[in-house]
This record gives sequence, C-alpha cells and structure tokens, in this order.
Amino acid sequence: MAPAPEPYRNRIELLQGTLDMLILQTLQWGPQHGYGISQAIRSQSGEVLQVETGSLYPALQRIERQGWISSEWGQTEQKQRAKFYQITETGRQQLARDRSRWETMVAAITGILQPVPES
Amino acid sequence: MSLWQRWFGRYGAEARRRDLDDEIAAHLAMAAAERETSGADAATARHEAEREFGNAALVKDVARESRGWMGPERLLQDARYALRQMRRSPGFAVTVIGTLALGIGAATAMFTVVDHVMLRPLPYAQADRLVTLSEASQTGRPGFGVTYPDVRAWAEQSHAVEKAAFYNRLSPRDFLQNGDASVRVSGELVSANLFDVLGVHPQLGRGFDEDASGLATNGNPNVMVLSYGAWQTVFHGDTEIAGRAVKVNTDTYTVVGVMPQGFSFPFDAAAEAPQIWVLGQPGPKDMLRNSDTPNYEVIARLRQGIAESAAAAELNTLQKQVVQGYADAQSREDRAVVRLRNYADTVVDADLKRALLVLSAATGVLWLIACINVTHLLLARATTRRREIAMRGALGASRGRIVQQLAVEGLMLSGVAAVLGTAIGMAVIRLSRGAIPTHLKVDMSAHVNLTILSVLCALTLLSAVISSVWPALLAARAPIEPALKQGGRQSGAGRGMSRLRGLLVVAEIAMSLTLLAGCGLLLRTLYTLRHVPLGFRTDHILVADLSIPSWRFTGMNMTTSLYQPLLDQVQQMPGVQAAGLMTEVPLGNTFNVMLTLNGEGHGMDSAHNITAVFKSVSPSIQKVLGFRLLAGRFFDERDTPSSQPVFVVNRAFAERNAPDPKDPASIVGTNLWHFGKTPAQVIGVLDDERQSSIMKPSQPEIEASIRQLAPGVSFYSVLEGNAMDIALRTSLPPEQMIPQFREILRKASPEFAHVPITTMDRIVDDSYGSQRLAAHLLEVFGGSALLLCIAGLYGLLAYLVSQRTREMGVRLALGAPRSSVLLLMLREAGAMILTGVAVGTVFTLVSGRLIRSWLYGVTAHDFRTLAVASLLLAVSGLAAAWLPARRAASVDPVEALRAE
Repeated sequence: MAPAPEPYRNRIELLQGTLDMLILQTLQWGPQHGYGISQAIRSQSGEVLQVETGSLYPALQRIERQGWISSEWGQTEQKQRAKFYQITETGRQQLARDRSRWETMVAAITGILQPVPES
Repeated sequence: MSLWQRWFGRYGAEARRRDLDDEIAAHLAMAAAERETSGADAATARHEAEREFGNAALVKDVARESRGWMGPERLLQDARYALRQMRRSPGFAVTVIGTLALGIGAATAMFTVVDHVMLRPLPYAQADRLVTLSEASQTGRPGFGVTYPDVRAWAEQSHAVEKAAFYNRLSPRDFLQNGDASVRVSGELVSANLFDVLGVHPQLGRGFDEDASGLATNGNPNVMVLSYGAWQTVFHGDTEIAGRAVKVNTDTYTVVGVMPQGFSFPFDAAAEAPQIWVLGQPGPKDMLRNSDTPNYEVIARLRQGIAESAAAAELNTLQKQVVQGYADAQSREDRAVVRLRNYADTVVDADLKRALLVLSAATGVLWLIACINVTHLLLARATTRRREIAMRGALGASRGRIVQQLAVEGLMLSGVAAVLGTAIGMAVIRLSRGAIPTHLKVDMSAHVNLTILSVLCALTLLSAVISSVWPALLAARAPIEPALKQGGRQSGAGRGMSRLRGLLVVAEIAMSLTLLAGCGLLLRTLYTLRHVPLGFRTDHILVADLSIPSWRFTGMNMTTSLYQPLLDQVQQMPGVQAAGLMTEVPLGNTFNVMLTLNGEGHGMDSAHNITAVFKSVSPSIQKVLGFRLLAGRFFDERDTPSSQPVFVVNRAFAERNAPDPKDPASIVGTNLWHFGKTPAQVIGVLDDERQSSIMKPSQPEIEASIRQLAPGVSFYSVLEGNAMDIALRTSLPPEQMIPQFREILRKASPEFAHVPITTMDRIVDDSYGSQRLAAHLLEVFGGSALLLCIAGLYGLLAYLVSQRTREMGVRLALGAPRSSVLLLMLREAGAMILTGVAVGTVFTLVSGRLIRSWLYGVTAHDFRTLAVASLLLAVSGLAAAWLPARRAASVDPVEALRAE
C-alpha cells in the first residue's frame, strides 16, 4: 500500500528522540499543561516546530513513567481545569544528558555540512 | 469505601482512562478558547481546534499504550471476545467443555480415591520417619515377632533409631463395658512410650507414665487409654472419665487418657473405630531370650535425616550381636535379619494399591485422550480462523497479542470445563460409593480436599496450555499474506498440519483401544467369576457375623447355653425357612482356623501332615447354604455329645486323604484323628465350595458338628469361643428381617447389638474385590474414551470435507461417480482407524502385564477380547466417518466451484 502524497507543509516534523528533550526544556520554566507545552514549542521555535498531539500525549505518559516529570491537576489563569506537568530532579539530569548529546550531534553534523576550507 | 476501592478508584485503569479523557478535553477547550479570543466564533473555534488535534481516540489509545496500561484491559477484552466466540458457536464450546470436563472429572474422582487411600497423611507427627521393625530368617521367612530384649537393644544401641515402641493384640475379642453396654473394640497391649513414638498425646488425661527407657518396667499396672471413638460411643464423651475403673472382658483397668479425634493405632481407615490401649509391662518372661519369650510388633521413629536403607544396614550389623544372646540355634536362625518398612506402606492393602495404580493410569490415558481431542478441535478451529487471525495481523496485532487472545479463549473453555469436571467427579464418587467393596476399607465419605483441588488446577492449566497455546502458536506463526490472498475456507491447511492431525486421531484410537481391551478383559473376568460354581446358594440369605464374648461363658457349655437357644429363637422368627451356624460362612473372610493335623495321631496309615480349614457347623446350615453332598450324609440329630464323634470333609480333603485317591467317597467311614479320646469318623463328603476367594480353588476342609463340641474337646475354645456366623434363609426380602434379627441377637448377649448383618449376595459381591471396582470404572473410562474417539474422528473428517469441498466439486465435475468420492473419504478414515488399531494392539499387549494378576479365566493377550474391542472401535469409527463422507459425495459441483 503506497502512502498517499501529503500536502506540503511549512512546518518541520520533529526529529525522533528530540521531543522528550524539548518537553523537558519547556518545563524548565515552570509547570505547564499539554496544550501549553505544544504552544510553547511552537512559539519558541518561531512557528517552525509543530508537535503533533498524537506524539505529545504518548510522550508525556512515557516520560512520566520514567519519573522525569510529575503531574497534578490545577487551574489555568482562564479558570480552565488542566493537568500540569512539572519536571523532577531526575528529569533535570536527563535533560542535561540529552542536551550534551544533542550539542555533540549538532557540532558533528555542522562539521560535515560545512567542511573546513582547505588552506 | 474500603481502602482497596479507594486505591483502585484513584489508580485503577478506569480512573486513568478518565484522567486522560479530561486532559484531552482540557486541551481542546484551551485551543478553542484561544481561537475565540482571536476573533473566531465558538463553533468554528471548536471545529478548528478539533481538526488541529487530529484523531482524539487514536491519541488516547497510543497514549494509554505508551503507559503500559493495556495489560489487564486487554485481558478483559480478550475474555469478552472469547465469550462472544462461545456464544457464536455453542456447539464447539459445548464439545470442548464437555470433553475436557469428562477428562478432568474422571481424574478428580480417581485422584480423590487415590488421595484417600494412598496419599492421606497418617495421624502421627512426622509419619514419614515411622517404620515397623521385624525379624526374619536369612532366607526371608518372617519371624513371629520381636522380643523385649531385642527392642531394647535396638532402641539403646542403634544410632538411627530415635525411639522404639512395642505392641501386641490384647486378646482376639475385646469388649469394653460400661453399665449394660458392651462394645467390641480393638485392644492393643502397648509399651508406655507408644504415643511418644507416634508423636501424639492424649487430649484428656496424662497417658502412661514412662521410665527412662520408655518401655515402662515400673509404671502403674492395669491402666488404659481410650480412642476418641471409644470414649464417645461407650462413655458418651464423659469428661470425668480419667481415673475411672473400666472393665474390658473380665479385667479392670483405670482410664488414664483419651486420644484426640482422628487418631488410631494400628492405623484404621475408619478413623473413629473404637480402640483401646492397655499398658504392657515387660514381665519376668520378657527378660530372657529363649523360645518362650513373648513376641511383639515394633514401631520405631528414625532420627531426623536418616535414610531407611542406612537404618536397616545399621540394625542388621547390630543384629549379628543381638542374636548371639539366644541360646538355641533355631532362634538365632529365625531372627538373623532385621526388616524395616515404612509404616505408611504397611497400612495400604497391596491389592488395593495395584487397583488404584491401574485405574490412575487409565484415568491418565482418558485425560490425555480428552486433551488430544480438544487440541484437535482447537487446531481445526485455528485453521478455519486463519483468515481472521491473518486479518488481525494485517491490522497490526502483534503475534504475542494473537497468542494471548487464543490462550485466553482456551483458558476460559478449560476453566468452565474444570468447574464442571469437579462436579462430575464428585457425582461419580457419590454414585460409586456402593461399588467399593467393604473389605477394601476405602472410606468414601470425605470430600475433595485442597490437594485434589491443586492437582485439578494444575491439570486444568496444563490442559489449557497444551490445547490452546500450541494451536495458537502454530496459527500465529502462519504467514499473513498467503492466508489473506487465498482467503476463504479453501485455503489448504498445509500438509504438515493435516498429517499432525491424522497422527492425533491415530493416537486417540490406539489409547481408546487399550482402555476398551482392558475393560473387556476385566468384564470377562467378572463374567467368569460370576459363573464359577460357588458350591453353595447365595440368594435370600442373611448372615450375622458374631464376635463371641467368650469370657461371659467361662465354665459353661456355649453350645447349650448360647448357640442352641439362639438358633431356636431365630428359627421361630416368622418368614425364616431355616437357620444355621457356621464358624465362618464361605467367602466371609472374617475368621479363619487352619489346623495342621499331625499324621501320627489321626489313625490313618499315611504319616503325612494334613493341613485343613477347620469349621464347626450346626446340622441345619446345610438347609441354609445348600452344600452339595457327594457321598455319605451330613450331620443330623443322631450326632449328639454322647454319640460317636464325626466329621464331614470336602472334596479337596477327600482327594488328598482318601484311601483310594481316585474315589473321594472312599474316605467315608475312615477314622480321622482323635476327638478327645475317641477316634472320629468321616461320615460325609461335601462338594468343594469357594472359601476365601472366588479366584482360589478350595482348600481341604474339615467340619465338626457344633452339637458334639463341649468344653472337654480340645479345639472347643478355638471353634466356639471366637467367632460364629449365624445364617438364615428367608422367603421375605432379607433386608426386612434385619431389625427383628438384630433384636433377637441383642437379647442373647448385649455384645451382639451392633454386629454386622449382611446378605450372602453382598458377601459374594464383596469377594470380587478390586476386580469389580476396576471393571466398573474401566467401563466408564472405556465408554468415555470410545465416545471421545468417535467425536474426534467425526470432527476431523467433517473438517477435512469442508476443506476439500472444492476438490470434491472438481472431481465430480470431471465425472467421478459419487460412490468413488464416498470411498475416497472412507478410505482415509479407514487408514487412520487401521493404524490406530495396530498401534493400540501393541499398547494393549504391553499394558496387559499391569492387569494380568487380576484376570481369571482369560489371558492378558486374549484374542477374542482384542478383536471385539477393535471391531467396536472400527465400526463406530466408520460410522462417525460416514456422515461427513456422504456430505462430501453429495456436494453439488456447480455450487462448490462457484463458492470460490
């Protein structure tokens, strides 16, 4: 079964494995609910990164089970009841690890894409 | 709300599902609200938010799965699905459940009996360390018992033996008395430490005083401990019993204890049988080692962790010195070896043990057949569901998931079957209670215990695993694409699968044949036994087995003071045609006197010894039991205490001892042994009658008239003082006579109030022993196996036909006559049946060894039985094959081809 051609979208799909890191990073600034997390990633990436809800919620469940975040029901400023996620200490450590791995990878890829001019 | 509910409410699957729903609803609400603030109207905002969100149901599913919440939910889902499947094809479900229930039910029933008889724990502490010790000669001839000095030597010098106790029968007939009541009990003379060795202590009173050795050489004399049963029946549970003086026969003892409920020693399957234990103290005679030293039986407790073989080895080394203490060479020889047996092994009848072993094996086979049949059905269904399974695979179900779902189905089916099977097993036990011969002493009153239930659970699980996971694995391993591509029912199951299934049918037929043939052999045995000429009549006869309280008649002539008046009264009862006395009625197996007559004394020329069964009878017994007279006459009024002493012998005796061995009648008129001072004359020869077992030929027998027995005659006390059967012939149904009969007996002596009264038919029935039990159970097993076999064969062929509708259509379209299609199918069935019968014949011949010793009048390799069983299987197998085969032959070629 060949996949149907998808319409062109101006947003970049997230690289696999980076979503967890982005969620943890977003939660660095304080507790946030699912919708808030997706909005934050979108706006902070300059509307480039779009988090599919089909990835976000499973990711939240997964990370919570890992113990990197915890959740609690609360109220938004608009009096909307919502589930707020909060990063835990192990979550912070995980974020640091993810981050350094990511930086190593970015440096490596950049190195390949911009070869040092022969001099 | 309980804590559990609160926890479950908060953390349970349902709560988590609601949590996620709420969270997603909140997400949508926030997204919509934001759109509204930027100017969209409510409906559009909501719609857009939903569109952006995507498939909410899918998100929920994926999210839940990533959490690993699905396990229990899926299990529930699978269970619900399985239930739906059952409801959709009830025929299949009923067949599977019925088949498994049959197998499990038979196993439950059998294991309950086995548990009752063989696995039941003895009522002693750490009973596995209890052993009996006895002495034997180097050649294995068992000794008469163990003397006190020997027990003491073992207890003191052996490292392996922690402690040892001795015991002995108190007297042949013990009656415990309380006021007017006089109850037959089994009495043992025991050493003071017996209860200590058994590790059980009286629930009331302090028991026997022990000395350092535990064998009490200085304890209180004349003290006694009661069993719970004796305490209840004789003293109605009187709590003030300790210290009371109580009479046993003519002796008085002080009660010093009551044992707890369920305790018996020697072990009695009827746990509440009244027993008493009297303290036995070694006397002066016990201290010596000579041929007059009293002998005892010995039970010992081995030290923790000592193997029986090691203990036996140590004791035998020790015994080499012990026997040196005997002065005479004969004693040294008779006591050369110490024999050690686990006590638990000695309490189960060997005959019964073998019966249970064979029957357990038969149940196992039946259970196996049931499992095969179900495996078979599930396999067939897994194949017809291949498309469904492939579709699920294509939709993304993992193999594990598919296997799990099929396993849940199997587990549910077998779970229902297990419940049903237990019920069937219980019913079987209840119904077969009457079929258990009384002398086998199987107590069938108890219910299934935990052991049985766990065995059952293990069986169920095993059968579920065997019969569902295996087909599920096969089905799940099948590649998805071909199944989907070929689609429909016509997808061939693959050669491997159908060969496997054929093998299963062959195995089923073979095992069924084994069961059927075994059942056939036992039925023929039973039939032959029933037609053995017994040598006496059995109909319309009641027999009371009297235990004689001879101490009541000390100094009296029991013939005139007890037997004759009793007989007269019974004869006066309305409906009684005749009544007679006999030491033991044939096949009674209650009391047996064997005499060895020394050749020198009996007045005949030959100097050989005569061993014979010895019985006293009243002349009237001939009218009751109808013995056939071969020559001479039976006892009558002419034989009085003052007339010439006379004997009647049986044919077996006459054939061995007649002056002319060719003519048994020639023994009549010869003098045979002295009867007191006068030589006794043989006056008649009876035809042989079966004495102890229907399977055993008659032994030589001598009968004396009860009227000629008086206290002066040497064997008077043996023949009259222990046991007597009183038999009556009636024209009424015998059961009706029992109350009146019992009343007359009770008046004659209080001890007779509770004697066993039974019919002669029942006595004969009981003497078939384990054969009857085995034959009846094997009938059930064999019949069930046959049914299962037919069902299996039918199922397989019906399935094969449905798979090959198209092929049949093509054959018919190409001009094959219908009869050849029919033959094709029948040939296939025939091949399986033939192979099954051939393999089954081998099984039967091998397993024949197991039941050989049970057979009578037929060999284990009896051709006719095997042929009949094979024929029965073949005919029913072909009948089972006929229906599907006819269906195959009646396929409409056009329909069959179009169905594609």
